[in-house]
Amino acid sequence: MSFRHLDRFAQVRSPVTRVPAAGRVFGTVVLALATATLPAGAWVQLGLLAAVSLALLAIAHVPLRVALARLAWPLGLVLLASLALLVVMPGEPLARLGPVAVTAQGADRFAMVMGRAMVALLPAVLLVSTTSFPELLQGLRELRVPVAVATALGLAYRLLYLTVDELERLQRAARSRHAGGGVTRRRHLITAIAAATLGRAFVRAERTHAAMLARGFRGTLPLLHAPVWTYRAVLNVAAVSILVLAVAASARLP
Amino acid sequence: MAHIPDGFLSMPVIAGTATASLAALATAARRSRAALGEREGPVLGAVTAFVFAAQMLNFPLGIGASAHLLGGALVAVLLGPWAGMLVLFAVLLVQALLFQDGGIAALGANTLNVAVLGVGSAGVTYRIGRAGLGETRGATVVAAGLAAWISTAIVGLAVAAELVLSGLVPLQPALLLVGGGHVLIGIAEAVLTGLLVDFVFRTRPALLARRTPAARGDRIRVVALAGAVVATVLVAVGFASSQPDVLETALARLASPVGSGLTAAPLAEYQSPVGGLWVAGAVGVLAAFLVAWGLTIAVQRRRP
Amino acid sequence: MTALVQARDVTYHYPDGTPALDTVAFTVAAGERVALLGPTGAGKSTLLQSLNGLLRPSAGAVLVGGVAVNDETVTAVRRRVGLVFQNPDDQLFLPSLLEDVAFGPLNAGASRAEAATRSHAVLEALGLAAAHDRAAHHLSGGERRLAALATVLVSQPDLLVLDEPSGDLDARSRRRLRDILAERREALLVATHDLEFVRGLCSRALVLVAGKLAWDGALDVLLADRAMMERFGLVA
Repeated sequence: MSFRHLDRFAQVRSPVTRVPAAGRVFGTVVLALATATLPAGAWVQLGLLAAVSLALLAIAHVPLRVALARLAWPLGLVLLASLALLVVMPGEPLARLGPVAVTAQGADRFAMVMGRAMVALLPAVLLVSTTSFPELLQGLRELRVPVAVATALGLAYRLLYLTVDELERLQRAARSRHAGGGVTRRRHLITAIAAATLGRAFVRAERTHAAMLARGFRGTLPLLHAPVWTYRAVLNVAAVSILVLAVAASARLP
Repeated sequence: MAHIPDGFLSMPVIAGTATASLAALATAARRSRAALGEREGPVLGAVTAFVFAAQMLNFPLGIGASAHLLGGALVAVLLGPWAGMLVLFAVLLVQALLFQDGGIAALGANTLNVAVLGVGSAGVTYRIGRAGLGETRGATVVAAGLAAWISTAIVGLAVAAELVLSGLVPLQPALLLVGGGHVLIGIAEAVLTGLLVDFVFRTRPALLARRTPAARGDRIRVVALAGAVVATVLVAVGFASSQPDVLETALARLASPVGSGLTAAPLAEYQSPVGGLWVAGAVGVLAAFLVAWGLTIAVQRRRP
Repeated sequence: MTALVQARDVTYHYPDGTPALDTVAFTVAAGERVALLGPTGAGKSTLLQSLNGLLRPSAGAVLVGGVAVNDETVTAVRRRVGLVFQNPDDQLFLPSLLEDVAFGPLNAGASRAEAATRSHAVLEALGLAAAHDRAAHHLSGGERRLAALATVLVSQPDLLVLDEPSGDLDARSRRRLRDILAERREALLVATHDLEFVRGLCSRALVLVAGKLAWDGALDVLLADRAMMERFGLVA
């Protein structure tokens, strides 16, 4: 898993980035929830929610190419996961592929799941394309995730870079000493590297803790930035949320 | 690690799992604070960073395949179940929001499966294992490995149960594909966790010593509980391995470590009914797990 | 004039019983610049950490402004004694530089606006204003060292305690750090192996050898006495 892309955002000012991070996270959750809970057959509503997400991507100046590239990997995973749906559903066989049969019911579920998955990924792509990790943390803290989780993530952000640096150093050092080697040997080596990294992460946590205490830490990370909520930002978030919820509700009308 | 994407779960399942996760996380936040105090932030931060970093390392398994660490049992062994839950929730949260790994609407379900049930069951199993086997290096490693295996299997069963409750797939293929697959993935996780815990035991035993040993008085209950959990897992393995394709499928999954909760390859002949015995057996496995889980929670309450 | 910091026979044993400091006694006056020298493992870092209450002596006492360091006074003491750690990465733990610098003032109860203003001012003074929203892993080694210093300066301490400040810095960054320190009015206590770094910066030297204070006197006199330096293990 690569994490370095987290810092490589196109930081373009747009009406979307003028909404505080908490608002962006909130909007993303609303859109994803509305999409993921659409009932089967609500294709019109699915299309409308896709249009809302795409419009927001356009307003945020996220190039379609970037959005599609970010969509490809998770969509591949979803495809992999939902392929089984085609064949595990009992029902009328539509086509036979060797020993397995694609059923009509299976195809139906597959299409529904893929459609919802694809549209629900759009707001996530929007969030990651407009929000840096520090901003996201700020948003999460305003949305009241448990203090311990916010603190852990706040410190993990820096520690992740240091930990991965250490991991890569250890791997380089190990490679320079043991070229090749069998599976058992490699396994031992990687275990040793992982364990050493773990040990160093703990040592670093202790030193960081000392450095925090030295500057008056008493158990809770203080928050420096107050969110800047303008009337327009509030209105924008509210308008999008109401629109999305109305679309979602219309799918459940008799 | 069994990250359910959006689109698979129904509204009631999303709402129910989110509520359960919220309640569990609230408890975890309170208990973890009590256990770690002002050291909590730095320690949780370090382990969260480590779990992220460790998932980038591929361990060769020796059968032409490799896997990466999922970490649920490891954090339970290092931090105890409560702080461990918070760490895995932090990881899931970032994976859902910034990596599109696991759905945002499905976050409640993924948290319940991986962070709450996965870490919780690993913590209980580890505690039981150490109480029954002792505190030696071998006992610690076996207990940690067992915890990893059982917790991975429970994660798989929870995923299967949610997919079934969402009305997406019938019970039987869900249990076989997802549950059975995870019983096998759990073996890799057990090996990795065991190796790491062994190394930590030899080089930095202080990291493991934070855990308090279980009280001796309820040894009988502990052994009975362990028996129940192990028996249910064995039954699940029996089901899984009697279906050779599941084995193949799961092995194929191991080869591509970035998996998701569901297995990709098609299963042979699912249209042919396999009989009421299978369904009854599968329901039995699930029920036994639920009972075992309830018991573990009851035991844990008594020994804070 | 009362001593800013007074170490009274400070003795420290590690939890496993290993002695680290043995009846170390000295004072530092306001504005004084002192080099703390000694071979690796002599107890320098232990001494520095006991000066602001991170470690408590097994025997003896540390007084800051005439007040003994204990659980009640430690918060005030930490505001007066600013400790810059050996590794800036341990000290820069938040997602952005500005948050790292504002951490101390916010913990001390400053308002967000005040903490931000003071942090910006310190970053400006150290030439880091442009980097205020960056994470430490996007800074150079020299910038990181200055940033670590900024996180301490912002709390306006009376004594700056630095642990190996010139370690792994290139020549230019080392020079810049030294110039900045030379202009400060706070008292300085610099633990280092880098004799050239403290020559001309500090007027006085303390030498720790195996946990004992082996020398307390003028730095120039010490640096001029090659035989004594060799005996203390300061030169090969």
